[in-house]
Amino acid sequence: MPKLTIDGKEITVPDGTTVLQACEKMGIDVPRYCYHPGLSIAGNCRICMVEIEKAPKPAISCQTTCAEGMVVRTDTEKVKQTRSHVLEFLLVNHPLDCPVCDQAGECYLQDYYMKFGLYDPKFNEDKVKKEKKAEPIGPTIMLDQERCILCSRCVRFTDEITKTHEFGIVNRGDHSEVVVSREFVNPYSGNVADICPVGALTDRDFRFKCRVWYLKSSPSVCGGCARGCNIEVHFNDRRAHKVEEKRVMRFKPRFNEEINKWWLCDGGRYSYKLIDDNRITQVKGADDWASAMRIIASKLKGLTQSSACSLAVLLSPQQSNEELFLAQKLFGQISGRDRFFLVSPTQPGYEDQFLIKADKNPNTTGARAQGFHPTENVIEQLLEEAESGKLKALYIFGQDLSTRFGEDARKLIKRLEFVVFQGSHRNDTAPLCSMVLPSAVHVEAEGTFTNCDGIVQRFIPAFSPLTGAKEGIKILSELGTSLGIKIPAGSPSEIFNEMVRENSAFRGMSYGKLGKIALEKAAVC
Amino acid sequence: MAKMSFPSELLPVAEKILKNYPEAQAALLPILHLFQNRDGYIKEGVDQIVADYLSLPLIKVQEVLSFYTLYAKQPQGKRHFQFCRTLTCSILGGELLADYFGKKVGIKPGEVSKDGQFSYEKVECLGACEIAPMVRAGKCYAGPLNESKIDKLIQEKSHV
Amino acid sequence: MSEQILWNFLANEDALSMDNYAARGGYEAARKVVTSMTPEQIVQEVKQANLRGLGGAGFGTGIKWSFIPKNLNKPVYLAVNADEGEPGTFKDRYIMERTPHLLIEGIIICCYAVGSHRAYIYVRGEYDQSIARLEKAIAEAKEKGFLGEQVCGKPFKLEIFVHRGAGAYICGEETALLESLEGKKGFPRLKPPFPAVSGLWGCPTVINNVETLAYLPSIISKGGAWFASLGCEKNGGLRLFGVSGQVKKPGLYELPLGTTLRSIIYDYAGGIPGGHRLKCVVPGGLSAAVLTADEIDIRMDFDSLKAKGTMLGSAGVMVMDETVCMVRALYITMRFFAHESCGQCSPCREGTGWMEKVIARILGGVGRIEDLKTLAETAKYLSGTTICALAEGAAMPLASYVEKFYSEFEHHVRHKTCELKQELVHA
Repeated sequence: MPKLTIDGKEITVPDGTTVLQACEKMGIDVPRYCYHPGLSIAGNCRICMVEIEKAPKPAISCQTTCAEGMVVRTDTEKVKQTRSHVLEFLLVNHPLDCPVCDQAGECYLQDYYMKFGLYDPKFNEDKVKKEKKAEPIGPTIMLDQERCILCSRCVRFTDEITKTHEFGIVNRGDHSEVVVSREFVNPYSGNVADICPVGALTDRDFRFKCRVWYLKSSPSVCGGCARGCNIEVHFNDRRAHKVEEKRVMRFKPRFNEEINKWWLCDGGRYSYKLIDDNRITQVKGADDWASAMRIIASKLKGLTQSSACSLAVLLSPQQSNEELFLAQKLFGQISGRDRFFLVSPTQPGYEDQFLIKADKNPNTTGARAQGFHPTENVIEQLLEEAESGKLKALYIFGQDLSTRFGEDARKLIKRLEFVVFQGSHRNDTAPLCSMVLPSAVHVEAEGTFTNCDGIVQRFIPAFSPLTGAKEGIKILSELGTSLGIKIPAGSPSEIFNEMVRENSAFRGMSYGKLGKIALEKAAVC
Repeated sequence: MAKMSFPSELLPVAEKILKNYPEAQAALLPILHLFQNRDGYIKEGVDQIVADYLSLPLIKVQEVLSFYTLYAKQPQGKRHFQFCRTLTCSILGGELLADYFGKKVGIKPGEVSKDGQFSYEKVECLGACEIAPMVRAGKCYAGPLNESKIDKLIQEKSHV
Repeated sequence: MSEQILWNFLANEDALSMDNYAARGGYEAARKVVTSMTPEQIVQEVKQANLRGLGGAGFGTGIKWSFIPKNLNKPVYLAVNADEGEPGTFKDRYIMERTPHLLIEGIIICCYAVGSHRAYIYVRGEYDQSIARLEKAIAEAKEKGFLGEQVCGKPFKLEIFVHRGAGAYICGEETALLESLEGKKGFPRLKPPFPAVSGLWGCPTVINNVETLAYLPSIISKGGAWFASLGCEKNGGLRLFGVSGQVKKPGLYELPLGTTLRSIIYDYAGGIPGGHRLKCVVPGGLSAAVLTADEIDIRMDFDSLKAKGTMLGSAGVMVMDETVCMVRALYITMRFFAHESCGQCSPCREGTGWMEKVIARILGGVGRIEDLKTLAETAKYLSGTTICALAEGAAMPLASYVEKFYSEFEHHVRHKTCELKQELVHA
């Protein structure tokens, strides 16, 4: 554990820590382009240079290992001059594209120039022209070779992370260019736009959509599959008129050491569109929420009082732990535990050895922890019950049964007396149902998901639900009130605490200290 | 495009080359030389053939081909002349003699003469400054050059 | 004339064949080493000889060898640097073309000393004759038992392979050479780790220049002390000085380290022809800062030249007379470095290309007075900020031409013509 001094302050670091990492720990801003904590050290940008006592010349801090007694300075005149000149070299052939470049506002060249540059440029020649300017290299990424500063992050990404080797750098000297050896079709392609420090690799989906200084960021969790990668939701609330009233502009990955590190798959990345597209915004089957609650309450009460088995509830692995808990508490009091069925809205899909899971639901494990397991042939069973008259009502939590299960599902719904559809997106099933309740998506709500490895993660709302929609927990709460049933009430945090009290699978957890748990087999009644 | 297999006539030599190194990638430069010797330049598709043979990603072969100047990407003349243009050769008139050669044969650097015999380029130091100004004609060094020596070189049937 | 070592084998092609080479005592040093010396003894002898790397860096050969860790589970490799790309240099070509067996013998001695059983000779791709003759000589040496499973009948195994380069000056840089040998682009590596610890395929590797290895047989035969005494204080022995340019007798001259530059140019290379005057000399290959006519009394050894702000390097002496425009000479120089920069790190990649453009403008009569300041400042920041020394190799001549021949550059800028009234060359 070497102890060293940086800018006059002492710090002790674990063996193997680099000077740059030590500076980061101390909150000292060291500029860098080629260094990325998730990739190997390239050491080619040269802008992270610092002065080390007893060394003849400045050294790159990204590759220098901390040693006992080392004395480092990042604030000397020499370091400042070196940074400024390296920046000048990098800008020599860089095109003046800022007004038309998406990277503006989150560009390392701009940021470092303002912080470490501010020199009078001496370059006054024709800049080197490259072959590909504004060239799509695949469905998701745009390449501009002239903006590229040849940091090689993209090359190292496809070599070391996806191991698909699309990117390379050809030629020599200032004619070097980043190229791809084939069309860039890769389930993790979006990450190269994240890691490119400049506007050389940009996201085609985001192209020209919104200037980044109009964006706000809110942390959340991706709901695209059971992996639960951490994300940032970038949304704009100031210029909605410019982007057809859509709020979310993009997802970016958020670092999580245990789950996704710095990466996000394209499926998850581009699932942001689900937040604003194709949403259900109106209650159907009643004039408003209040009357909808009254109708549902009286209908369900009536039916279940004569026969507890007349209602079936289709829980979804898309629902949060809190919502599942509440639903269980609510419907469990008017119906039996055996009347709950866990139905996934989708078939399992593509899976790989990296982040993507076949299970395209964020909370299957959470549902299992509460004793709900996916069962085979649910629709056949329910159809049989419906045809025999046993089943009279169905509460659907967002699954598009018609598309997933076909004619049997449509027959089932037709056969029933009362079907409630609580969901967020328009689909072929909702119009067939007696009542449709628009619910919020998880980005608009608060709660927890349990990922495929049993890690329970919190998500908070980035903004309020789309006008007309309501958080799932709120809907169930109001339904409980209408039914006259006592169910856990209060904030998602309080509901979670209640769940923790009742379920050993979540032992020891609270919103304050969420972490990984080893799931115990939850008892199913 | 169907996967092209490694040409059988080059296999014995290629396999011998592979044995010289503990890792297959090290055979890349020598094997590319094999193809250049056979065809006079690196033909389209050779990069994929060699990548497959050595189990390398295609991009690694493409990078190497673009980095090193001796691998010709276009066909060259049967006799390819490389005129040195670095310090000693240049101050002794080497670049002007290269232009003279080009004018005599009727081609610009990078072009091949109509009869397919000649092509030329100006290159950096060839390590023969004692015979400056000089030229690498095929596999032979020739210098010190003057216009009449260049005339003679052009007339020669082939490189010594 | 003083003692000659290599020139005895280079004056003509008499030492080319195995029989001739052996008849002159060839391979006796190798035999002596393998049969009667320990690696430690060999390293001692070489350290005593004050033999310093003759490829350019001038690093003590014996010291370099002693960095190789002992008793590792990994093989030790020798990479022979025969890339000879430094403009002004042609000595290694002579050795490989005229006396390849001398190099092979040197390789045997080095490999025995460092515990290597495999050597790769990385020869620049344009040296066809060197490659052919080396391959033939290796086969001959193997046949005679100087290579193979049992060198000189002893349980020491050694194989030598010739590896052909493909046209990149940067592959003369030690770690770029290793990358190229491994089948990649010639990108110099970050150091540490140094090749002695992790070189070829992660194994300890020695990289030595051809000429450095060629001196080993004589050091073994006659002793390190003898070799050291031929040179000067910290720089032992003789070396091959390659003289070219405006001299009467361009060629190789084997002379003691410490011989003056004046002596080399006038006593050996015959001086300047045609009644012209010396104007400027490149003392150690294109990467060296230039010297003016009144600086040639300098002693040609690594330390003296370093103290004068230039370098001995590969001892490629390029002589220019008063008819040579210095702006043009610098342009040719920067054009070379811009062309050969590997492009890996930003200062060199962008800086060399930029400087070439600036000097091209000055040469073409469209220079601006602030260009001269730009050149000087950029030279300063090319040095010390890069992965390898190519940038320094560009910065040193750049700074020296502008400083020592400032008036010529100024003339080009202010008057849009050359002082020497030469035709302006538009790049």
